[in-house]
Amino acid sequence: MADLALTHSSRSGFRWSAGALGRRDAIEGLLLILFFGVQLIPRLSASPESPEAKALFDDLVLPTLEARCYECHSAESDRIKGGLLLDRRVGLRQGGDSGPAIVPGKPTESLLIEAIRHEGLRMPPKGGPLSAKEVAGFRRWVELGAPDPRDQPMEDFSPVTDGEQGRKHWAFQPIGSLDSSIPSGAQGGRTLDGYIQRSLTEKGLARSSRASRRDLVRRLSFDVTGLPPSEGERARFLEDPSPGAYVALVDRLLASPQFGERQSLFWLDVVRFAESEGFEYDRTLLGAWRYRDYVIDAFNRDKRYDRFVLEQVAGDELTIPTHESLSAAVFHRLGTVRRNAGNPEIALSRNEVLTERTDVIGAAFLGLTLACARCHDHKFDPVSQRDYYQLQAYLAATAEGNVELASPEEQEEWTRQSEAIESEISRLQARKSTLKGEALEAVSQQLRRLAARRPEALPKIPSIKNDYANVTPIHLLRRGDWERKGEPVRMKPLDVLGGERVTGAPLDTRNPRTRLARWLTRDAHPLTARVIVNRIWQQYFGVGLVATANDFGKNGEVPSHPGLLDFLAAEIIRHDWHLKPIHRMILLSETYRQSSRLEPSALAVKTDPGNRLQWRHTKRRLLGEEMRDNMLSVAAVLHDDLGGESVMLPVEEDLVKLLYKPSQWQVSQTPGSHFRRSVYLIAKRNLRLPFMEAFDQPALLTSCFRRESSTHAPQALELLNGRISNELSEAFARRIRSSAGGDVEGQVRVAYRYALGRDPNRSEYELGVPFIREHSLEEFALAMFNLNEFLYVF
Amino acid sequence: MSSRRDSSVPRGRPVHVRRTRTRREFLTDAFCGFGALALTAMTRQARLHANSVGGLPPIVPPVAPKARSVIFLFMAGGPSQMETFDPKPLLNQLSGQPRPASFGEAKYQFVESDAKLLGTKRSFARYGQSGLEVSDLFPHLSRCADDLAILRSCHGDMVVHSAAQYELFTGRVVPGAPSMGSWMAYGLGAETEALPGYVVMPDPLGALEAGQPMYSNGFLPARFQPTMFRPSDRPVLNLESSRGASIEQRRATIDLIRQLNGAAELPLDPEFEARLLAYDLAFKMQVEAPAMFDLSRERPSTLALYGIGQEPTHDYGRRCLLARKLVEEGVRFVCVVSGGGPGNMQWDAHKDIEENHLRKAAETDQPVAALLRDLKQRGLLDSTLVLWGGEFGRSPEAQTSVGRDHHNLGFSMWMAGGGVRGGQVVGATDEIGLRAVKDPFHFRDIHTTILHQMGLDQHTLTYPHLGREERLTFIEGEVIRQIV
Repeated sequence: MADLALTHSSRSGFRWSAGALGRRDAIEGLLLILFFGVQLIPRLSASPESPEAKALFDDLVLPTLEARCYECHSAESDRIKGGLLLDRRVGLRQGGDSGPAIVPGKPTESLLIEAIRHEGLRMPPKGGPLSAKEVAGFRRWVELGAPDPRDQPMEDFSPVTDGEQGRKHWAFQPIGSLDSSIPSGAQGGRTLDGYIQRSLTEKGLARSSRASRRDLVRRLSFDVTGLPPSEGERARFLEDPSPGAYVALVDRLLASPQFGERQSLFWLDVVRFAESEGFEYDRTLLGAWRYRDYVIDAFNRDKRYDRFVLEQVAGDELTIPTHESLSAAVFHRLGTVRRNAGNPEIALSRNEVLTERTDVIGAAFLGLTLACARCHDHKFDPVSQRDYYQLQAYLAATAEGNVELASPEEQEEWTRQSEAIESEISRLQARKSTLKGEALEAVSQQLRRLAARRPEALPKIPSIKNDYANVTPIHLLRRGDWERKGEPVRMKPLDVLGGERVTGAPLDTRNPRTRLARWLTRDAHPLTARVIVNRIWQQYFGVGLVATANDFGKNGEVPSHPGLLDFLAAEIIRHDWHLKPIHRMILLSETYRQSSRLEPSALAVKTDPGNRLQWRHTKRRLLGEEMRDNMLSVAAVLHDDLGGESVMLPVEEDLVKLLYKPSQWQVSQTPGSHFRRSVYLIAKRNLRLPFMEAFDQPALLTSCFRRESSTHAPQALELLNGRISNELSEAFARRIRSSAGGDVEGQVRVAYRYALGRDPNRSEYELGVPFIREHSLEEFALAMFNLNEFLYVF
Repeated sequence: MSSRRDSSVPRGRPVHVRRTRTRREFLTDAFCGFGALALTAMTRQARLHANSVGGLPPIVPPVAPKARSVIFLFMAGGPSQMETFDPKPLLNQLSGQPRPASFGEAKYQFVESDAKLLGTKRSFARYGQSGLEVSDLFPHLSRCADDLAILRSCHGDMVVHSAAQYELFTGRVVPGAPSMGSWMAYGLGAETEALPGYVVMPDPLGALEAGQPMYSNGFLPARFQPTMFRPSDRPVLNLESSRGASIEQRRATIDLIRQLNGAAELPLDPEFEARLLAYDLAFKMQVEAPAMFDLSRERPSTLALYGIGQEPTHDYGRRCLLARKLVEEGVRFVCVVSGGGPGNMQWDAHKDIEENHLRKAAETDQPVAALLRDLKQRGLLDSTLVLWGGEFGRSPEAQTSVGRDHHNLGFSMWMAGGGVRGGQVVGATDEIGLRAVKDPFHFRDIHTTILHQMGLDQHTLTYPHLGREERLTFIEGEVIRQIV
């Protein structure tokens, strides 16, 4: 831009100095033409030397901006609205949260013009709209190239992180190698402990002593399987003093099928798993439970994590898709979907779906809050709006694709049976209208029998497929608004993670999501491995090494033990992306085996009250699911079948009435289903069990990386008066009675053994026995379910 | 929250509003963001800690509040602006004709763009000293005209129920964010121990499109969830003892739990103390709350005022009276829903605007007016902000022949009490009621105004979620200065 003469003015900062321009610009322009040829001429024609434009700026644009806009859009504003500065040229051109305010030469593409014309935005918000003359003046000024001499830089007003700085952020660096001062060993446990020990020592803190064996067996059992230890398991461990007993217990638990059931909970939270679409219809996603079973099975069989990612992201694209990989790809279908009657807004709905799917990929696999970049370049992370849409472009060809699981022969057979029955039904129905009395009754009976013989619907997977003929064009969207399309984009990884070295692929490229998955799971990807080991760590210690497990960006927390995080990430890759070795390493570490019962030292309370450094183990309250499973177990009514269709429990009728379609709640009739583990209870977005709601189950709507653990009165009401705890405490009372008979002391003893795995102490006997005598065993059993020792893991 | 944050990132400012930095923030940065960090961390910690002991003890807001409680009279389905508070003589003149192009475009859920305009059969008159115009749908409410600040220029972003309901309650068009009531409970706690801080009384006729997630605590901790009142005389779930146990029996059980917890060899722990307190509060709720719900002890004149015991006002009147009793006890936010179940049972008058609105108004007019008068009589109106409205208004065009479609570009809501200056109309739609043209107020402006009256600020009442400091207003809102 030409070097223009300026004079200072009190309010605006700078004004054109009339008469001072011209020659030098003209010469410079001429030189440019000589250098670059004629292409530049049109641009120059709209360049600042247009006296008309200059006059417009001086007489109309600047005074109007000063009078009507600076209050909210200048460096002097108390609060700069929409991130937009109108007191400098670069502010107008770079724009605010909604994108550039003006596009020089193009009034129709300039937000500022739209806003003052009250199309969409309405500016200024106060004092009435600009006059027609003012609007026309602005328009003309933009048309003429919007010359603007105010060249204060944006320096002080730039995003918190610029691209360069952002690249230096720790999470984007390659995974570091092992610190040589840390001891190493084949199992890795020593290394893990070494890292923890070092940061404790640095703060003058020390590790706690080991937890008691009784605490350990219960802690391990809940942490690994989500269930209390069986009496046999507990006895076997407590009676075997050999050093190998703990290792053997860990290995048995990791090998049990309940491991996958417990582990699946954290992953289902992360991928916002639910079996209905939310919004008003809250349509049931028939067969979505297959995804839950896929996850359980994957953890149980220790599926490689890179494969686990690939199957979820692109399970339908495999050369030979299997039921398993198709179930994995249900991942894309798990989000909320707004469907509405009436005038369809297909493009808007499509945009909503793609947005939801892109955001969850960012959160779940990358640990990045990509959603921020949908409307504007990310303010903290080096993720541009372009990055966001380039990533979304991998989903451009994705279409809903429900998969019939039955073979063609089975489908044919189903159709044949079905048609036969239906034709018979319609024949009888036609006849029915002519009949009366006994004949009518006979036909009605026949009809009922036929209806019962209708073949069951064939199983389906609500999966996805690519529809290359109908690829959704992906554009940059101004402010994320689907109607304000910018430049079209190609599919491409994030720039900061290697994308800048590639040109990207067109939207109809075959198997696009396989490409995405391959990029996500390259060994050199700095995020994928770190993100998953951090989630595993969080399972056992309550908080991840990075506390914000879905946000490894600048705005997230920095790792408490960066070296340890990298060590674990490298271990996953060394173990060919298998996760069980990491679980095992953690469980065998001394860090994990510490006691949680130690009174904290004054120093620990002062320097690390949150126990991020692991100077003891952190006790935890059971998850809502674990609480109910614990009650089922202790009452000995748990049905431990694996997998299958989800269960709807009986709930208060008033709750069902809160559903827009109450008929969607059909209490499961399968015998025993009401006693299945909580992971198999249906995840319905518009009807959550009060029990789970009270105990911090996430809302099933967006990705949840860590559950809250809140304490409030409605929890006490739920445990004291609620349906689940009461039904199960009655069952528990029956168990106690059948084992101890009428001997009240015996009742207290077995109650403690079953519920807490120990004998009662003297005061507990002294409290329990008279209570049962005076009140009831049922009430005593209910009290057991309310004890801290029952509800917490130490 | 842990304090192990990257200190180069200044905290505690509304990251979604500004990319720019003020001088103060610049200074904050110069000190490694410590000031801002400590400030936010402490406020939030104070808030979460204060709330962690079981109930929702009151929190003194940073700014002296005008209002102590909010009652939201939610007219679900979307009442028509033309039939209620926004007279449009020109619309009557143009009835039967297509919309003149000069009024611009609008998108509807069902109606096509070439539909014919529909005049209203309602008549308007001026009421009170302020001479506020109210339609003849509301003979009772019109007598409270001087208390109402009518906002004729409300607008939202969505024209279908579920998404518009989410935006009205949570500021977002998708489910998953906390509702107004949960934000209030988080920001202010409650001034009652025996009752929850945030109560929703749905219409017993049935559910709404957006379902439970509209009222929910979203990503806020579960203790800020709404308590949904059931239609029966025992409105709160789990408030009666199971198995018919007596209240003495429950007390004994709670005592046993406390004693057994003490007898077990467990470390002392503040969380366990909080749990004990939660049981005591639960018991207090169980003992004291049911008396609240028992309306038989109310004076006959009060019942008559609300239309309780008569049709069609009995149900809404009951719930409005309950709402008054709840705020009197210190409940922070009460939502009383009118409308539920299939569209025509809400204010969703697709088929016949006359039939629908006459019916819905008859059910609610007397109770709403009674609520305002009762609050006023008891000196509670000054500290109780009452908001009336739906998730959108209705189309100036006819759907089929005498119905109206949804319409989100300009519609009416009103506020009363809680420091709001009544007896005025602010904002305006164009001459056919299509579009807010003067001082348009988005839901975010309504939210900002409610927060403001409660002594809260949209920028400081935040909670971290998925990498952002989230707040009630997705995009920054403005306080409606004309009415406060």
